[in-house]
Amino acid sequence: MMASAGKSYCISFQHIRAALPTITPFVTKTPVMTSSHLNQLANRNLFFKCENLQKTGSFKFRGACNAVSKVVASNQNQTANELSVVTHSSGNHAQAVSLAAKVQGVTAHIVMPTNSPAVKKEAVRSYGGQIVECEPTEQSRVDTADQVAKKTGATMVHPNQSPDVIAGQATMVFEILDQVEKVDAIVVPVGGGGMLAGISIAAKELCPHAKVYAAEPKNADDCAVSFTRKELTPLPAPPITICDALKTSIGPNTWPIIRDHVEDVITVTEEQIKAAMRLVWERMKLIIEPSSAVGVAAVLSDKFQSLPAASHQNVVVILCGGNVDLDNLPWM
Amino acid sequence: MSSLAAFSRVSTRRFKINFHLLGVRACGLATMGDGGAGKVTVQDVEKAAGRLAGHARETPVLTCGTLDALAGRKLFFKSENLQKSGSFKFRGAFNAISRLITSANQNPPPVVTHSSGNHACALALAAHQLGVTAHVVMPSTAPQCKKETVRGYGGNVIECVPTEQARVETMERIAQQEGAVYISSSQHPDVISGQGTMALELLRQVPDLDTVITPVGGGGMLAGVSLVMKALNPHIRVYGAEPELANDAATSLAQGKRCPLSYYPETIADGLRINMGPVAWPYIQEHVDDIICVTEDEIKNAMTLIWQRMKLVVEPSGVLGLAAVLSDSFKAREQEAKNVAIILSGGNLDLLKLPELLSL
Repeated sequence: MMASAGKSYCISFQHIRAALPTITPFVTKTPVMTSSHLNQLANRNLFFKCENLQKTGSFKFRGACNAVSKVVASNQNQTANELSVVTHSSGNHAQAVSLAAKVQGVTAHIVMPTNSPAVKKEAVRSYGGQIVECEPTEQSRVDTADQVAKKTGATMVHPNQSPDVIAGQATMVFEILDQVEKVDAIVVPVGGGGMLAGISIAAKELCPHAKVYAAEPKNADDCAVSFTRKELTPLPAPPITICDALKTSIGPNTWPIIRDHVEDVITVTEEQIKAAMRLVWERMKLIIEPSSAVGVAAVLSDKFQSLPAASHQNVVVILCGGNVDLDNLPWM
Repeated sequence: MSSLAAFSRVSTRRFKINFHLLGVRACGLATMGDGGAGKVTVQDVEKAAGRLAGHARETPVLTCGTLDALAGRKLFFKSENLQKSGSFKFRGAFNAISRLITSANQNPPPVVTHSSGNHACALALAAHQLGVTAHVVMPSTAPQCKKETVRGYGGNVIECVPTEQARVETMERIAQQEGAVYISSSQHPDVISGQGTMALELLRQVPDLDTVITPVGGGGMLAGVSLVMKALNPHIRVYGAEPELANDAATSLAQGKRCPLSYYPETIADGLRINMGPVAWPYIQEHVDDIICVTEDEIKNAMTLIWQRMKLVVEPSGVLGLAAVLSDSFKAREQEAKNVAIILSGGNLDLLKLPELLSL
């Protein structure tokens, strides 16, 4: 799929290229790992980019670092400790922003619903985030974040629609191309679409022959539906899926990029996701959360398997995170 | 995979296999190829590294800022849970079988062992990759998933009643019947030199390394790693880490003589229940600076830290090094250590048992 000339997206490749040196001092260059067993199962050469091993346990740290750096750079007349950022999230993005702010000396205000699990609040605190509680409704989250921004002058860092965040997530493509000799396809889990959009733009520039596939839970298939209808179609209601990190719908900034760059969207069932998660834990000895297992499940799915092997031989799968509640595993 | 019928019976006169309960001396292999039950040298380990290249993984060294802060120093985790077959044991098994094949000239014999743990899986996989049949004697009570893993790797599982005597006798019978050579999990020079190869990798992967710590069960890994470190950089301090409940190696080091436990100890670190063996002992006595013992709670705490903070599947035996580094006794002893390598030895465990192994 080709973007028509003159179409502008919320980010360009230049944004991504500029993000790389910005975040390099802070992020981990995560390894790419392989597994003969999974290669046999998939009948492909699979290359797993281990963002579960990223700081704060997910790729979100990349985007958060870029966004926080931009806040510091745009406010040169203030010292870092006079600056702050705010976001509303109880998941990986909350932890990522907390640590990204801490390492740059900036304050992070994290708006979290009162009923967020204690373990998540604890994780945010441990990374230095300051929690501001809100009611467990979408409206309250947004309103409370707005209030914090007004009161403290904090800059909002949206988890997946912020251009700086999207550009930050995309930096993993530079690393992948250093680490994997030949890339025929990249399989990327999709929630809000920040990672998918960023990777799409970077891949088009850096490895234009590689096809980018989105992987999504069937139970939260707004991206698949939007892709088929060629029109942004958010989920009508909060979805029920074990992929707690993929419950958001793609948004107005990420959708056009996805529409024009992604080859296809592969949806997988809850059972396929659980099986893939257990497979990676048992055979690769890597702890991945259900959202990461979506990419693995997609590669093992009938739909992907029916793609021509010759042109889809070397497949990169993003293992996007490993923040999982060990007290609450899907197979127990 | 080679069929049994393809092998001619190798005369057992060539192999003096002396079964002596758990302290099985693999004298058979020791008399082949290296001119006697000789000392393993760094050169042997370097040759082993050559044999393993392209077969065993050069596993990554991973780091974690949170754990550095807890330990008060930089920690470098050599991730052997990511090794083929899920533990470092693949190195020793592959090296030993490779040498066997080289020495055998024509038709290499099958191999045999008794194990319900990582060595069983490692031997089965290594044998399969080298085109040799592996017979693995396993007690009937061994976890089903372990038996299936061994079979999945192409190993031939022979079950026996769960007593030490039955394991050894069954193995002896198979060895005679199939002309199979016994490969010990830790008490053979080729296994020790195979395990030592991870030390060569560490020296390349971690500049300014000053301390290394590995779990110790039979002692094959500690023997191999310590001899390499002291040969190539004697300033590096080498520690073993052991459950307090299975502290035979620590006692031996303190007493200056091998002191095996007379009972089979209970500890969640199931891979470390066996005694340090007679072949590994002299290397440990000569090269190891100390052995640190940790409690079951310290093991569970280390498990929880690694699973939650490092996102790695590591079995209880595998986290002993971290438990030791976080212990008061290590902190008191090693105020100077700045760059500490910890071997995460393996990640084979039953996921359904996880709740019992963590301190949540």
